[in-house]
Amino acid sequence: MKQKPIELLAPAGSFDSLQAAINAGANAIYFGVEQLNMRTRSAGTFSIDDIKEVSSICKANNIRSYITLNTVMYEHDMQLLKSILKEIKKRGIDAVIAADFSVIHYCIELGVPLHISTQANVSNIESVIFFSKFADVIVLARELTLNQVKSICAEIKRKKIKGPSGEPVKIEIFIHGALCMAVSGKCYLSLHTQNASANRGACVQNCRRSYTVKDTESGEELAIENEYIMSPKDLCCIDILDQVIASGVDVLKIEGRTKGADYVQVVTQCYKEAIQAVHDKNFSQQKVTAWKTEMSKVYNRGFWEGYYLGRTLGEWTDKPGSIATEKKIYVGKGTKYYPKIAVGEFIIEAGSLKKGDTLMITGPKCGMIKEKINKLVVNGVENAEAFKGDLITLPVATKVTASDKLYKIVETADA
Amino acid sequence: MHKIIHYRNKCIGCGVCHEQQPVLWRMSKKDGKATLLKSTGKKDVFILSIPDALVVHSQDVARACPVRVIKIL
Repeated sequence: MKQKPIELLAPAGSFDSLQAAINAGANAIYFGVEQLNMRTRSAGTFSIDDIKEVSSICKANNIRSYITLNTVMYEHDMQLLKSILKEIKKRGIDAVIAADFSVIHYCIELGVPLHISTQANVSNIESVIFFSKFADVIVLARELTLNQVKSICAEIKRKKIKGPSGEPVKIEIFIHGALCMAVSGKCYLSLHTQNASANRGACVQNCRRSYTVKDTESGEELAIENEYIMSPKDLCCIDILDQVIASGVDVLKIEGRTKGADYVQVVTQCYKEAIQAVHDKNFSQQKVTAWKTEMSKVYNRGFWEGYYLGRTLGEWTDKPGSIATEKKIYVGKGTKYYPKIAVGEFIIEAGSLKKGDTLMITGPKCGMIKEKINKLVVNGVENAEAFKGDLITLPVATKVTASDKLYKIVETADA
Repeated sequence: MHKIIHYRNKCIGCGVCHEQQPVLWRMSKKDGKATLLKSTGKKDVFILSIPDALVVHSQDVARACPVRVIKIL
């Protein structure tokens, strides 16, 4: 049977990440603006004025763009919501990812295509039938097993459930990135401890900290193997991508709007290759190992395949943050670009560089570039080392500006 | 005399300041963020001098702000 096309959907939390997703071959990206998305607290969130540029970059690169408007919505948000929806309609953003009924209502009223967010926790075919009246794509809850996903996809086919476009409803699932200890988004820890609601994108991530468990009657602390008792490892489906695709899903989504362009590019690239390998029938354990090694180099809390294979209990990380095998150390930023010879100039603002180091550049035009430098040109002369205050020049295909950041890559053990 | 400083661009529009102290805060219908009434400001930083009688309550409000964009000086 011919495999249907799979859409790979990457996170774009910044212009750097947007370009990184494009470089890696994503078919679509999702982003949020202002305070009405689930990553409001994170720096670098887009504003309403950025919608035009995001849309034009996506159109120029022939990829689809979706905007997340999936927080809890209050009365005082309605005007902003309408302004955002009018702007995205004007700029041709392909769809809105929503959970709140006010967003669904206004999208229908304005004729804006709609996707149902994972925040709606769609977990059965009846919910799919209900939402198919409004949405062409439905993101399932992250807590389903692959058998449940498969059954939903089969029922859509059997019952010929169509969305407003007249096409069969598409099913989207998360395949990679952070998992929530609660049923996606339905968590009040952050609200209770710091009055910061996860459902307004302000989660302070209490679950990622270490805890002691104490018997308050005796005052004795319980001996626990792992103090990070609420911090799940990251979802990673690359081992089981063949089974994921066979379940009949249409869209594979990568989490990570707060993560760097390096994460977006590496993870998207690996899944792009994996989808192709499944399509070409040469998906192998050897390739999986190589992809996992590559993805271990960027932000991760350790990997497991989530609940898809029917695990009854999660796997928990034993570290507060990333356990990436590589670390990026900030070295400097772009200062000048020589377009005729395609060379970028960077100033070293911290630390030093030497010939043979692996460098990474992230920026809105280049996305992410990573390479070993065999020739180091310092202040116009070839040199073995560069220090703070020095200007170095490197061949870069895209324009370099002050927004381009230069990093040195080191193995974590050496950092 | 104490002052309230509101770093408005980082406000997530949760509405807790308005709920707790409606005499000083309103939710903007335009952009859904909190507005510090009668304040003066440049760009995204707004300042209001308050009488001593309002200080304790305002400090509670500042503590309740989930993104800590309200400061009392």
